Amino acid sequence: MNIVLRLAWRNLWRYPRRTWLTTGAMIFSNVLLVFMISIQIGTYGLMIDNTLEALTGHLQIQAPGYKDDLKMRQVVPDAISLAASVREGLNLQTVSARGAAFALASSEDRSYGIQVLGVEPMFEPGVSSLPGLTKEGRYLDDANAAEIVIGSVLARNLRVSIGGELTLLGSGRDGSIAAGIVTVVGVFHGGNKELDRGIAEVPIGYFEDTFDMQGAAHQIVINAGDYSKTEQLVQQANALLPADSKLVVHDWNALQPGLRQAIQADMGSAIFMYAVLVVLVAFSVLNTQLMSVLERTREFGIVMALGLTPGRLGRLVMLETALMGLVGLVMGSVLGGIVTSLFTVKGIYVPGMEEMAGQFNLPSRMYPQVSALTLIAGPGIVFLFTLLAAIYPAMRLHWLQPVAAMRAA
Amino acid sequence: MTAVTCIELCKTYRQGDQEIKALDHASIDIGEGGFVCLSAPSGGGKTTLLNAIGGLDIPDSGEVWIAGKRIDNLGKGELANLRLHKIGYVFQAYNLVPVLSARENVEFVMQVQGVPAGQRAEKSMAILKEVGLQGLEDRRPAEMSGGQQQRVAVARAIVSRPALVLADEPTANLDSKTSDALMELFVQLNKTHGTTFVIATHDQRVMGYAKRLIKMLDGRIVDDIDQQAA
Amino acid sequence: MYMLRIMSTLAWRNLWRNHRRTIIMISAITIGVWAMIFMTALMRGMVNEMVRDGIRALPGHVQIHGRGFLDDPGINNLLPMKDEDVTASFDAAGFDAWAGRIRVPAVVTSERDSRGITLYGIDPVRERDITFVAGDIVEGRFLEDADDSGVVIGRKLADNLETELGKRIVIMSQDPDNEIADRGFRIVGIFEARLEAYETSMLFAGKSAIQKMLNVPDRINEVVVLGDDYRNVDPVVRKVTDLVGPGVEVLPWYEVDSYLGTMMTVMDGFVLVWMIVVFLALSFGLVNTLVMAVFERVREIGLMMALGMRPTSILLQIVIESLLLLLLGLLIGNVLAGATVYWLRDGIDISVVAAGMEMFGASSLLYPQLTAHDVVLANVVVLILGSIASLSPAWRASRYDPIEAITKV
Ligand SMILES: Nc1ncnc2c1ncn2[C@@H]1O[C@H](COP(=O)(O)OP(=O)(O)O)[C@@H](O)[C@H]1O
Ligand SMILES: [Mg+2]
Repeated sequence: MNIVLRLAWRNLWRYPRRTWLTTGAMIFSNVLLVFMISIQIGTYGLMIDNTLEALTGHLQIQAPGYKDDLKMRQVVPDAISLAASVREGLNLQTVSARGAAFALASSEDRSYGIQVLGVEPMFEPGVSSLPGLTKEGRYLDDANAAEIVIGSVLARNLRVSIGGELTLLGSGRDGSIAAGIVTVVGVFHGGNKELDRGIAEVPIGYFEDTFDMQGAAHQIVINAGDYSKTEQLVQQANALLPADSKLVVHDWNALQPGLRQAIQADMGSAIFMYAVLVVLVAFSVLNTQLMSVLERTREFGIVMALGLTPGRLGRLVMLETALMGLVGLVMGSVLGGIVTSLFTVKGIYVPGMEEMAGQFNLPSRMYPQVSALTLIAGPGIVFLFTLLAAIYPAMRLHWLQPVAAMRAA
Repeated sequence: MTAVTCIELCKTYRQGDQEIKALDHASIDIGEGGFVCLSAPSGGGKTTLLNAIGGLDIPDSGEVWIAGKRIDNLGKGELANLRLHKIGYVFQAYNLVPVLSARENVEFVMQVQGVPAGQRAEKSMAILKEVGLQGLEDRRPAEMSGGQQQRVAVARAIVSRPALVLADEPTANLDSKTSDALMELFVQLNKTHGTTFVIATHDQRVMGYAKRLIKMLDGRIVDDIDQQAA
Repeated sequence: MYMLRIMSTLAWRNLWRNHRRTIIMISAITIGVWAMIFMTALMRGMVNEMVRDGIRALPGHVQIHGRGFLDDPGINNLLPMKDEDVTASFDAAGFDAWAGRIRVPAVVTSERDSRGITLYGIDPVRERDITFVAGDIVEGRFLEDADDSGVVIGRKLADNLETELGKRIVIMSQDPDNEIADRGFRIVGIFEARLEAYETSMLFAGKSAIQKMLNVPDRINEVVVLGDDYRNVDPVVRKVTDLVGPGVEVLPWYEVDSYLGTMMTVMDGFVLVWMIVVFLALSFGLVNTLVMAVFERVREIGLMMALGMRPTSILLQIVIESLLLLLLGLLIGNVLAGATVYWLRDGIDISVVAAGMEMFGASSLLYPQLTAHDVVLANVVVLILGSIASLSPAWRASRYDPIEAITKV
């Protein structure tokens, strides 16, 4: 080993207790950072996936303005054939056309206002998790049948079961009265109250007839498989739109602006908390290294008298700090990784989580996700601030007068 | 009654695989009002013996009696009490609490004893005057010379009128003139208050002041000279 | 007592022997305490605002329904007693504020479009003290009395329906026999709410008009009561329960909206965990400082013990020194946190993530809120854990062997 490195290393361990306490602060913060960041990454991913895969998909083709106003007449014309050509153009099966209307659904003894979606039974399972969550009865299979699949809470509220009939009453594309009678063929458990209470799906052909859509629908939903591919698909989909159409392609961020912003808001508060931890570690390091420099004043005076420059001594102090920071970084990352990994399978349960999680389409347990990024991001920043904290102690050496230093007690 | 009695004290230290007999069957008897010098070359066992007498250290075997009371079998708390109330201590160096002024250092022991503030102030001012430090009461140790610091230490050792004062090489860091002044102070206190003094030293000049000179070597008592007769 | 005085004097002076170290440590404690209190104030501000908003957005403090209403909130779960009997008994009981309502799911249709909403038939005079809407009318007027034949709707809903003040809309719902009941209403007022969800989902009409439309004269299905403090509603629940007797369900707001209810408890847990984490990050530096302080004073500690000071007194001295350090940090930290909260008393605008905050159910203007409880908690956590942390170095100091300490060079 290099002699300077060896010197720095030995200096570091002059007072092992002090060095351990300082690295202890780093390790504590690093473990916490690795753990928390892993949870965040894991949770955000799930939150995005779960929210989007229920209905929204990763991108949608809509009429301009539709996503804000959800008006019946803001339509995508010839939706089924457009969906087919997009499917072909993107070479992706997970593309489906969908119409949406509000209607009063009445059973024999109950009526509720709900959102009725007209879906392509063939393709809807590719863009939505609800078909797969239809555990009672079956999902739609005929594009024109007068059938409906409803959420579990809605089924309970309407007091209908499989085989029961519902009357739908709403307004069609041009504002005229739209009415129809459908048979309940399936009940889905979406796991989210809003979905289970207020959503029902009918075949798109039946939807078009009932709501007088004249071949149009409201959305072409595309599931990218992984939200990171969204960007690329948006561009491709844009290229596939008919030249004269006014249609627009929205990514999930535009469709669910709350999602990213909720993540940003959560990250904002997390960053504040992490910053506090990092600053506290920096103070710990500042204290230790300043003391270490001050108590060696005499020793430094002597070596300076021997001809060592303050600059070199300053670098020695920085090297000592870097070594200490490295110990904290490695031990913190490793320990943090181990602790976090223990929870990746079983997940973490916090009391009260269920209600909170339900709000964000999350399961009631949190599953941290360990990756190189989560292992290194927090500890790396702690390391950086550790070095920054040592600058002042190292600078003090520049003001050291050898003669005065040697006489120091 | 004797002020200090030590019977067959032994103390062995281990250093690596070497055994050092710091005290080797050492027995002494010091009467009340005695003024005794323990002399030995460095490493002869002076400090070990003083520490045993002062209850700072427990010998491996043998007995220590102070004013008719056996102390080598007492607990830590009782020993602390003994030092607090019966014994004054002056060390070679580092006698004072750095953050306390001369007066506060002197008052410190009294304060721990629970002496009321008025009485404390009176006594400490008087004793500082007696050791010749009038006017320096509010200085902190760092603002005083070695001799002045040792005087503060002496003032603190005798302020609550202990029957016994133990001093471990009190002049080792002082020049000869200051040493003489300090020893004269001891002699005078011995005369006026009848305080028993046991002073460990290897300084010829100090030995000259003693009424009785006990010589040690390698932890054994090798000579005991009554200097008053001479 | 005198012992305490000497110990405190010594501890105080010792503290300033190494003023750099002390100042660094106090700064760290200050930052930690500031972060504890400020972060807590932010979170409290957010959650309390959420809860207050949530409560104003209808639940009130205590709700009374027929059994089964929460599962099936509609016309079929009417209260067993008549509207006028409720009025008589509740007025006699002397609540701060209360109101009876009829609340049903409904579909609202304009010339252009339809939406599912919750229809509230209210007594506007009584509701003035309870719901937010009365004060948030931006166009037109609030309802005047229970017979008012107009409706008040949210701005966003009006936009979605492409309708406006003065225009007519049709409300459809069901009567107890599940006959479709519909009626046209004129929009007399438009309100804005802090959360968009309120604007799109709530529609207010006169109670008598709705009773007539739904064919349930003199019946209601919800009574809300306001106590004087939402944090202490149990007495109100008891009083109401005594008043209405069995056969109806009396629920505090935190059971009506379990998300809001859990938010409060989760918050309490979070606050405590945050404070402890910050303290732990601090504790390494604190222990380190004390270890160094003790280490430097080996000799004088030995000296004091040689002079007859008991080990417990030494221990006490170090603990006092630590407490002084903590108290100074606490003092400055508390003042700083208070000042920060005061400085931000007009709220922090985070509308860049407004849609995200809406997902949490919070608005985008954060008002940090300092509560005595949280401030005391932070101080107690720091002092108690601080004393515990200082015990280890203090214990070590009190275990020093006086001889070794004195003879040490
Ligand atoms: N704590 C200790 N550990 C090991 N050896 C010691 C210790 N204290 C004293 N000694 C040894 O005991 C012997 C007597 O020491 P001491 O009583 O200090 O002598 P003096 O005070 O006469 O110089 C010396 O050889 C010394 O090295
Ligand atoms: Mg000695």
